[in-house]
Amino acid sequence: MKVIRSFLKIFTVMVFLFLYSPIIAMVIFSFNESKSLAVFTNFSLKWYEKVIANPEVWRALYNSFWVGAVVTIISLILGLMMAMAVTRYSFTGKTILESFILIPIIIPEIAEALSLMMMYIFLNIPLGPVTVIIGHIAFDISFVTVVMRARMVGYDKSIEEAARTLGANELQTFFRITLPTLYPAILAAGLLAFTLSFDDLIKTLFTTGPGFKTLPLVIWSYAARGGVSPELNSLSSFALSISFLFAIFRLRAERRMGR
Amino acid sequence: MGLMDVLLKYVRKNVSVKVALLLTPPLIFLAVWFYAPFLIVGLYSFDMINIYREITFTPSLVHYSRVLSWTGASGIFLRSLYFAGINVLLCLLLGYPVAYYISFKVKKYKDVYIILFIIPFWVSFLIRTYAMMGLLDERSFFNTILLSLAIIDSPIKIMYTDVAVILVMVYNYLVMMVLPLYANLEKLDKTLLEAASTLGAGPVRTFLKVTLPLSMPGIMAGFLLVFIPSVGEFVIPELVGGPSNYMVGNIIYEIFMGARHWWVGSALSMLFIAFILSLVIIYIRGVGERGLAI
Repeated sequence: MKVIRSFLKIFTVMVFLFLYSPIIAMVIFSFNESKSLAVFTNFSLKWYEKVIANPEVWRALYNSFWVGAVVTIISLILGLMMAMAVTRYSFTGKTILESFILIPIIIPEIAEALSLMMMYIFLNIPLGPVTVIIGHIAFDISFVTVVMRARMVGYDKSIEEAARTLGANELQTFFRITLPTLYPAILAAGLLAFTLSFDDLIKTLFTTGPGFKTLPLVIWSYAARGGVSPELNSLSSFALSISFLFAIFRLRAERRMGR
Repeated sequence: MGLMDVLLKYVRKNVSVKVALLLTPPLIFLAVWFYAPFLIVGLYSFDMINIYREITFTPSLVHYSRVLSWTGASGIFLRSLYFAGINVLLCLLLGYPVAYYISFKVKKYKDVYIILFIIPFWVSFLIRTYAMMGLLDERSFFNTILLSLAIIDSPIKIMYTDVAVILVMVYNYLVMMVLPLYANLEKLDKTLLEAASTLGAGPVRTFLKVTLPLSMPGIMAGFLLVFIPSVGEFVIPELVGGPSNYMVGNIIYEIFMGARHWWVGSALSMLFIAFILSLVIIYIRGVGERGLAI
């Protein structure tokens, strides 16, 4: 038993090493003075200075944020409507509706993105930020609905009835009771929606117009063109810190819900 | 009574109106911006849109027969299945012991282990892939260390091979296997294991006869979560592979963007989507709806 236990322990540690080493190496070498990817010569911030001095990066970061914000708000509204309909009422065709919601999660993004691009071109819709936003919402709705539905299963409807008995109308009840009660679920779904939009590459790649780039697109174009470089190491480490920040928000939101 | 009150009263009375009001906006959005594009693809694939982007009502299977008669197509489908299959297998082989260890052997701070496991997956998919490129690069410290220790005498050239594609897939998808497995193992009634050992089964026998069969739902959920997205992988073969490691997604991309042949590209897309959906349907038939309760 002891042998099995220590084997499992070593194995687990090795897997953790496998998961962490590429990311840690990337961050370490982003602070390397020389261009070498193998030998760390001296601590330096010069690659970060290069990244910070690059206006393309700032524009892309700004684009990622505002696209993510718009996508999140619209997906939340549409996803909340869908989740409320599915969890509160029973109606015919619900099973079909559920698969209708799940399919966007299942279909490979590349097929989805190329199809949307074709429709934009077919309908002569000019590509740009709006087409990117629409593309992101189209898959975000499903994720938001699934997350919200899972959180709404144990929802206690009696407080709404109490509010109604006390004379509040439907809209008052919704804004004063339903929405605040669902706040943790909305927060969790919103952070997920934002992360999906913020990190998205494929859909953005095919639905964007000339000159409109998000942060993943900038990283992608450098990585596809030149492969690994110290400058890209620092840009990626920078993007990594943003992802971490959002992950921590998400974790805290989930913690709050656990209580 | 104002108009608002009249409306509210009407809505209050009719549940079906409520449902319709809630469902119409999201469904219209999905129908127009998610499902309609596939309709366009369908029309292209059946040769019902001409080069002037006009819809013609003369469906034809010519593009499907071009895809199916192209011998390379089956090879690429097979390669995608093969890559995804190996990926699932490796994720299971690496992930099962980890999930098992955390669930059964760790007494304190299980949550800490799980969070430590998840942290690398907070990083976006693209950056994780890029980080792996750094490790696989010929010039990487990894190769240098192995060289200086004289373990190898020339740098390992993994980049732009099948091995690189599979390795990066495992790196990216491992979490999708471990989390459902862990959730499943956590729910497993541990007294059953004690019962098995009281009745004289050794640890190996207990594992094979009790733990493994009981963790099948977790394995199946992990299988779906890893297999489906990895069959449709596009970014990884593009960045760490080359034309000889391309998967279906890359070929569809090449036909659309490189050859600009939308008709054949559409036919291939339709076949691909049909393939993925039939896999999911087979899975649901086999495992049941609860398999999708992620």
